[in-house]
Order: sequence, then structure tokens, then C-alpha cells
Amino acid sequence: MANPTTNFGWVMPTSTSLVTNLPADFNTFGQGVDTSMAQLKGGSTGQVLSKTSATDMAFTWVTPTDQTPLTTKGDLFTFTTVDARLAVGNNGETLVADSSTSTGLRYQATTAAGKNAIINGGMDVWQRGTSGTTRGYNSADRYYLNNPSVAGRTYSRQASDLTGFQYFMRMQRTAGSTLTDGFNVSYSLESADSYRFAGQTVTLSWYMRKGATYSGAALRGGLSYGTGTDQNIDNTYTGATSIVSFSQTPTTSWVRYSITGTVSSSATEMAFTLVWDPSGTAGATDYLDLTGFQLEIGSVATQFMRTGGNIQGETSACQRYYVRLGANSGAVAGAYSTYGNGYSTSTTDASIVIPLPTTMRVAPTVCEFSNVAIQDFNTAVIAVSNVTINSAFVSPTAAVVAATTSGATAFRGCKLSNNNNTAGYV
Amino acid sequence: MTMDNVTFVTDEQGVEHAIIDRGNGEYTSMQKTTYEAQQAQAEHFTPIVTSDE
Repeated sequence: MANPTTNFGWVMPTSTSLVTNLPADFNTFGQGVDTSMAQLKGGSTGQVLSKTSATDMAFTWVTPTDQTPLTTKGDLFTFTTVDARLAVGNNGETLVADSSTSTGLRYQATTAAGKNAIINGGMDVWQRGTSGTTRGYNSADRYYLNNPSVAGRTYSRQASDLTGFQYFMRMQRTAGSTLTDGFNVSYSLESADSYRFAGQTVTLSWYMRKGATYSGAALRGGLSYGTGTDQNIDNTYTGATSIVSFSQTPTTSWVRYSITGTVSSSATEMAFTLVWDPSGTAGATDYLDLTGFQLEIGSVATQFMRTGGNIQGETSACQRYYVRLGANSGAVAGAYSTYGNGYSTSTTDASIVIPLPTTMRVAPTVCEFSNVAIQDFNTAVIAVSNVTINSAFVSPTAAVVAATTSGATAFRGCKLSNNNNTAGYV
Repeated sequence: MTMDNVTFVTDEQGVEHAIIDRGNGEYTSMQKTTYEAQQAQAEHFTPIVTSDE
């Protein structure tokens, strides 16, 4: 062996050293070893040595970072700024990306079909017509228009330039209008569709953009719940309480917005409202475009899905609340399209049974009609002046109506049809 | 009886209905009691926008 040693230069006694010098020589040797090994002292259970520089014997004890953080069945090995554990979710939950969490991941419930509770979220169904102005359900199915100043405002269906949607709703002030009171669009879920959200974290999302001359402050509104049954947020709403509010000035490009909040476990009905407070004199493009509404359980807005799955399902879902047969129903109406059969109860009245395509929420109480007539086998078409619901016989599956005519033959069978007009409906 | 664009009629069962002429040959009918309830609601129009701010 070389003396001093090759790597550390430790000095050992030589063959010529005097015996009396050996203790001092071993002291020198031992101290050399001690000094060299000093860096290896310390540390704690589980730690490993790590180089602190390129210098020989420059070490420190560190806790290893490449050890598995997993501890429990189903854990996922993820990363924050260091390796991290993500505990498995509850049964049936799925993993979604979520940039707001430390790992960028989150388990959440109910991402399957039927996740979206907003019927007609994609603005596909407009049974009442493609444009409305007055307060009430007068444009896209299921959306309530709260427009206190009828003049100068329109809610209309527009062909969509947003990928994935056929239509959107445009809320617009007519150019030159100086009315500045707020007007809104709202959506109220019936109680049977609201119970599943009680006690849950929910997210409402939608696509929105403004016209170039959009006026006024930020759009405001939010998601609310109530404790009544099947009420309308724009009328009486028992125990109305905010779940989460919204205030945002839209841009001229489509942007998907979302709000998230937790619903009280006592909620029995839910609704959202968006209010626009315009200002000044309306320009030609003073409008707001909306589509893609989705309400789902979870804290993240997932990909938009129609609650009915397709146009047939979406139409049927809308017809639970309103059915139009004939023009604007989504199907082409003929000049004499027939809606139901019955008989003339007198020379001036006919009782007609109209089968409904979907079981309605309740038996219908309101009837809208235009350009209809009755026909029997011996008489020409007889125009109908009034169609009213017969509350004694109507049901959620069949509308029984009284049609007011003139010149019919009593007790003769007849049918209710369009009056030689494709614009007819009931 | 006529009130603006609303006509009230009584059917063969003696039930009163409101017939609302919406223009362009389009009409809406409902029981008079329903119509009056809607009118009362409209007179108390107050948009509900709850806020947690």
C-alpha cells in the first residue's frame, strides 16, 4: 500500500518508524481518517447521501424524493412540485383534469349521460316561434323572458357560428332604443329535476359573446335555489337564496363561462338568471348571444351534452312543458294537418281529443291556436274561432278541447285540422 | 266582454275563458281565473336576482 494512501493521503507509520513513535503515528493516521469521514456523519432514518458539490467527500444527508407516496389501494402517483399521492375517488366517480387543484386532477361524480339538467341547453327547440319580445315563455323552449319594456327588445334564434351548436339565442336592443331598464333571461328547474342537486357542489356553464356595440355594465346574475315546488324564479320563489352569483362583461368572441357553488341540502327547486342592464342609445349590434347552458354536479364544467342526448330527446323533454302541433313545431305542417278527432256537441261547438306526444308535467291549462278548422264527412271545412281547454276531461296525455264553430251538424263526428293553411297550429 | 285584445267567453259547461288575440291570427286561451292570476303577477313584476356578494 502506498504511504500516504493513494486516494485520501492518509499517513501511516513506516517500517523505519521507532516503536516509541507508533502512538503518535497512529494518532496522525486516525485523525486523517476521521477528518475525511466527517461528511458522512448525521442523517436520519430513511435519508440518503447526496453530493453538495463536485468536491471529493462533499456530501449531505437528504430525504429521498423518488420514494413512492402511495399508501392506499387505488392511490395514484401524481406530481405537484414534488411527487404526490392522489387518493382514489368514491365509487362511480371519474377522474377529470382540473388546473385549480395542486395535482391538476380531481375525482368527480356524474359525468355520464343525463348530467346536464338544463333542457334545451343548446337552444335547439323553439316551438313558440323563432323570435319573442313579451314577458313569459315566448322564445326558446324552457327559457323565460323577463322583459318589462316590450318595445325595442327581441330574443331571437340565430344560426350558430359556434362549433357544435346549430343555434344560439340573441338578446338584442333595437337600434336607436333608449330604454335602459334591465331585461333578463332565466331558467327554472321543476322540483323533480332539482332534488338530485341538494347538498351537492354544482357548476353552471354557458357560452356567451356580445355585439360590437353592446352597452351597459357587466352582465349579472347567478344560480339560486328555493324551497318551494315548481316555481318560477321571475315570479314567486319561496326561500330564494343565492348559490353563486355572476358578474362579467362579455367579449365579442365566444367564451365559455362557468360558476360553481354548493347547493343547500334543503333546496327543492333551482334556477338561474342572467340580467343585462343596457345603457345609452342602442347601436346596430347592441346584443348578447347565448347558448350551451349546462348545469351539472361537480366543480368543473365538463364537455357540453344535451340533456335529451339528441334532437328527439331534447324535443320530448321540452314537450313535457309545452306542445305545439303544426307550424313551428319542428316538423312541417300541411294545409290540413290533423291534430285530433271528436264530434260536434252542437251546431256551434265541437269536443276534440288531441293525443299528446309526451306525458306532460301536468294537464295543460293554456291553449294557443291559429288557423284551425273542423271537418266532418259531409260538411266542408268550418273555421274555428276559439279553442279552449275542457278542464273536466283534460289530462297530461290528452288535451280535450272545445272548438267554437258556426254551422256544424250536432253529434256528427269531426276532426280538428289546419284551415287550409300551413301556418296553422294548436 | 272585450278588454283590449282579450275576449271573455263562457263554454257549454259554464266555465269562463279568456281569449287573447296576439295578432297575426294567433290566439291564446285559458280559464279566466288563470288569466287574472297572470295579470296580477305581471303587475307585481320584480325580477329576482339573488346575490351572495
